[in-house]
Amino acid sequence: MQKFITGSPEETEQLAERLAATLEGTEVIAMYGGLGAGKTAFTRGLARGLGSEDDVSSPTFALVHEYSGKFPVYHFDMYRITSWDDLYTTGFFDYMDSGVMIIEWSENIQDFLPENRIDINIRYISENEREFEIKGAKEI
Amino acid sequence: MKILAVDTTASPVSAALVSDGRLLGEFYLNIKTTHSQTLMPVVSALLEASKTDISDIDVFAVNAGPGSFTGVRIGTASVKGMSMPLDKPCARVSTLEAMAYGMPYRDGVICAVMDARCSQVYNALFRLDNGIVERLTEDRAISIEELARELEYYDEKVYLVGDGAELCSKSFEGKLENTELVPENIRFQHAYGTAMAAVRMINENKLCSSDELMPAYLRLPQAERELKARLEKQKEKDS
Repeated sequence: MQKFITGSPEETEQLAERLAATLEGTEVIAMYGGLGAGKTAFTRGLARGLGSEDDVSSPTFALVHEYSGKFPVYHFDMYRITSWDDLYTTGFFDYMDSGVMIIEWSENIQDFLPENRIDINIRYISENEREFEIKGAKEI
Repeated sequence: MKILAVDTTASPVSAALVSDGRLLGEFYLNIKTTHSQTLMPVVSALLEASKTDISDIDVFAVNAGPGSFTGVRIGTASVKGMSMPLDKPCARVSTLEAMAYGMPYRDGVICAVMDARCSQVYNALFRLDNGIVERLTEDRAISIEELARELEYYDEKVYLVGDGAELCSKSFEGKLENTELVPENIRFQHAYGTAMAAVRMINENKLCSSDELMPAYLRLPQAERELKARLEKQKEKDS
């Protein structure tokens, strides 16, 4: 497990860029942490780290956004997903092994995540500071 | 009688042209493509190369499920679209049955399995006897564990086919010695099997109109359990 503390959204993005540099292209990255934790900022950094110039925003309504980079990036928001049927009909399983999947609100689909994945727990410390606990990733 | 069959239910995409039980042409790609982008070019390449006009097709066959959520919809929607303007009938083929028809290999039981994730599979069992396919179970979604228990009742050879075959074979290791993983070149579903399953449906008068053609989804045990828990909770609340 690796732990990091970031002091601003910019630092969060930089941390994600460093993680991006270690990826091979088909990872499943599960993020945990409530509103304002920095999940979208982290995803923005990750997409940029993979060379994407696409706009990154939380797919709360669309459920999944796709960004093109060195690998395709599939950005999921599971906030409204509460059952297996919900998850199946997002096409979640169809995306596996075809790109990097990064998931907000993984709490909601924890039973259905593949064992081989990267977990990122984000903890709120203060207004600008966050602690990132990263499991299952290569050395960042 | 010309049949055009397509399959997009898992990672490969394929299209086959069968006339009076003979395979005239087949196009198969397994390169993790987006089916919505590759299926139609594959179909038109097959028709063009075989000098067939789409209006010559008598029956449009499709693996309508089970399978990936998006894949199943792409296949059925495309076949709906091709058959509707020509007013031609469709064969709504079970993906699992297409696998059985695609592997007329050796007599025995064919166990068709597709990986439905989280240790669950879509499965059906068939018996192959002298090239005749007999269905032994309905298409269902079950856990690999449950399937293993069921297979204990078969003494004859059981051939594992489909993209869940390797997964099952690994999980059966050390027990169920009568099961055999078939070679990769005939392990996965392809449109030839779909067309041959359609031949059976033609003979049994089981075709449908393009209007009636619908995807076939199976509810997984995991979803079934959740639904039950939710209904019970609701009941508690109401009483």
